[in-house]
Amino acid sequence: MTNEHPFRDEDFDLYALGALDGEEKRALEAHVDTCDGCTEKLGQAYGRVAMIGLAAPQVPPSPGVKEQLMRQIVGTSTGRGGTFAVMPSKKPSTFSGWMWALVPLAGGFAVALVFLWLHTLQLDAQIDALKAHEVEQERTIAQEREEIDMLGAKDTVVVSMSEQKQMPQGTARVLYNSKRGMMVYNGALPAAPADKSYQLWAVPMEGAPISVGVFESMEGGANRIMAKMPPGMQVKAFAVTLEPRGGMPAPTGPFVLMGPVS
Amino acid sequence: MHGPARTGVACKIRYPRDCVYLLLELQSFVNVTTGMDARASDAALIQRIVERDESALAVLYDRYAGMLSSVLNRILHDTQAAEEILQDIFYQLWRTAANFDATRGSLPGWLMVIARNRAISRLRRHNPASGDELEENTVVIPANLESSVAQTQMIGKVRGALEKLPQEQRAAVELAYFEGLTHTEIAAKTGDPLGTVKTRLRTAVQTLKKNLSS
Repeated sequence: MTNEHPFRDEDFDLYALGALDGEEKRALEAHVDTCDGCTEKLGQAYGRVAMIGLAAPQVPPSPGVKEQLMRQIVGTSTGRGGTFAVMPSKKPSTFSGWMWALVPLAGGFAVALVFLWLHTLQLDAQIDALKAHEVEQERTIAQEREEIDMLGAKDTVVVSMSEQKQMPQGTARVLYNSKRGMMVYNGALPAAPADKSYQLWAVPMEGAPISVGVFESMEGGANRIMAKMPPGMQVKAFAVTLEPRGGMPAPTGPFVLMGPVS
Repeated sequence: MHGPARTGVACKIRYPRDCVYLLLELQSFVNVTTGMDARASDAALIQRIVERDESALAVLYDRYAGMLSSVLNRILHDTQAAEEILQDIFYQLWRTAANFDATRGSLPGWLMVIARNRAISRLRRHNPASGDELEENTVVIPANLESSVAQTQMIGKVRGALEKLPQEQRAAVELAYFEGLTHTEIAAKTGDPLGTVKTRLRTAVQTLKKNLSS
């Protein structure tokens, strides 16, 4: 701590956390405005503090959010939705006689223009919706193509997962391709309790299990998960556990299904 | 329709510029079919957003929306409000991507800071953010979070670091981060002396910094 830098390192974290107030906050802001070194420290503190948010229980957004977002951006990507300029009108100095005869014609023309403009807006909206749909379709097709390639590959292994004693009755199969870093889970399990979720794990040869996905099973329904994994990773088993709703960073609940990769 | 349709593969060639659009179409098609999109860096995707490529925004959404949704829901306890803010953040990214300088900070860091600021503002009924946050501060996070595996590992590390804190320190950090409370407000809420709250938070951030950088 020196007179030039009258703050300790943790002061930046406290500021980024929003804990400082009053004079402490003002003094740090005033100093950071004039000190490049402390600006850099503050940037690092913001990053560290931002990571605290990762401790929040995992809550995936509903699919509708992405659909609305894509519709929203497609509507702005081409700069449509034009503007009208209201031009100052000149006072007609010689508007008389035969020119009055043109008024009904001009009126009809204006109505037709408005009609055409409204129709164009409607068509634009339809085109935007179709473009958003097309983006989603292409992504789905690419994903399915990749899956089909993987299913047909000679080095894809099939892992049968068997239920564990005193656990919900179910069955599942995993298709895994280590080289492509890809796996597909197909399984059927009874509905999880209200406060629980099923979580699928890949257990590598070395290191802790890696979460592949969290899912809520529907009564009588099947679950399907396609996931990318680090290519070349050696997996010794796949497992499904019962975890607190939203999933956990490491398995804590009982094993429901388990299957070794042979 | 004005401008190129970057995401479709159908394209009529009438003018020389249509050939350019066709090439862009092919590039986009190849990116999607080969899985290059999913592996593209944040900086590359941001550049494509600047060039008005909608599929690049979709990739970034898939990459970070879950992370942001979790923190927004934890702060707000209101799914609808959380999803409104989530959509708004990515829409802002679409509109102002050109302002983002990848050399000055990391995208997930920015997104997390913006998400928290907006959620706290909503919680405390402050005016919503002006939309200029991308220019406000540098945010440097201690890890690359571009892959889901890296995110999972980081989530585990952060949760582990928080769990190691003594209960009263962890509670103080959570009140500050998830409720946006200052030292003084935490002291008023918990009834603890202000000096005690300050010491707890200072010790907690020192420990977190050490554990997250190890």
